[in-house]
Amino acid sequence: MGLTERLRRLDEVIAWKGEIPLQNRYTMGLAGERFFREIKDNARLMATHCPNCDYTYLPPRTYCERCFAELTEWVEVPPRGTVYAYTVVHLDLDEQPLEKSRLVALIEIEGCDSLFVHCLDEVEAEEVYIGMPVEAVFQKERQGAITDIAYFRPL
Amino acid sequence: MSERIPTYPGTPLKERDFADGRVLHTWWVPKADYAWDAGVAIGKFLAGLKEGRILGITCPQCHRVLVPPRMVCEHCFVPTSRWVELPGTGRVKTFSICTVRWDMERLEVPIIPAVIALDGAEAPTGGGGGFMHLLGEVEPTPEAVRIGMRVEPVWRPAAERTAAITDILYFRPIKVSINST
Repeated sequence: MGLTERLRRLDEVIAWKGEIPLQNRYTMGLAGERFFREIKDNARLMATHCPNCDYTYLPPRTYCERCFAELTEWVEVPPRGTVYAYTVVHLDLDEQPLEKSRLVALIEIEGCDSLFVHCLDEVEAEEVYIGMPVEAVFQKERQGAITDIAYFRPL
Repeated sequence: MSERIPTYPGTPLKERDFADGRVLHTWWVPKADYAWDAGVAIGKFLAGLKEGRILGITCPQCHRVLVPPRMVCEHCFVPTSRWVELPGTGRVKTFSICTVRWDMERLEVPIIPAVIALDGAEAPTGGGGGFMHLLGEVEPTPEAVRIGMRVEPVWRPAAERTAAITDILYFRPIKVSINST
């Protein structure tokens, strides 16, 4: 009895099931708004530059993460770069096996100092190497989201 | 806001801005299913309700009978032991006449949540907890409901019970014939 007591009948094992209704609307913020608007309307990448630190951010920030200065200098950067690191993903967000594994990479965009996370495609996992030059493939129909870049592919 | 700061800094957004497509945004409906495990004590208690039995458990130190049961007495920090079945009758310790539901919905007919001191679940000192449920078959007026009123459970038909607290529909006043008083 007491704390060592265990349920012995299955009908005494009871769980209440429910669902918490949640909805989430994410806005991109000031820098994000401009960043995604440029992707949507013009299929180009805009970064912010900190003149004090000589550091270029992509995705852009409104404040420098190093010196906290407000960043007002916008620069266009080319939609290409090199693979800094990559990983092969076999499971989805619910840890279910993916039919086809995916490649996720940290990409050093030309002219940027921060790293950009996106997927790689049109390439097999065995062919990817660190330092591989890649370019962004934009969707034809764009909504103003990170998925407007379909993936990066080898140059 | 003050004289010095007429408006707060920031970028206020209105619903209109989203409707008119002025603000880029993503919409996400997270799946938040949950299962709350009733545990040993409540599991046994709920299974008892399905059989039309109200089960309590005794604290070996303060001798209170806990209903709903807990595995540990929260007064003594002692593991409870000895299960007891209660007759279900009791008296109203306190009550409230509610004209709104838990989700703020206006109720046409008020409900009467009450704390009921169940017979056999009183501490020897007269203290102890109480059993929270609804009162029924009584006018929802302060005149009709009384503290100390004797009540008994009205059970859902056995076939419709689901091992839930709602297996007891409500508690109703025990009708006392004039002769027996």
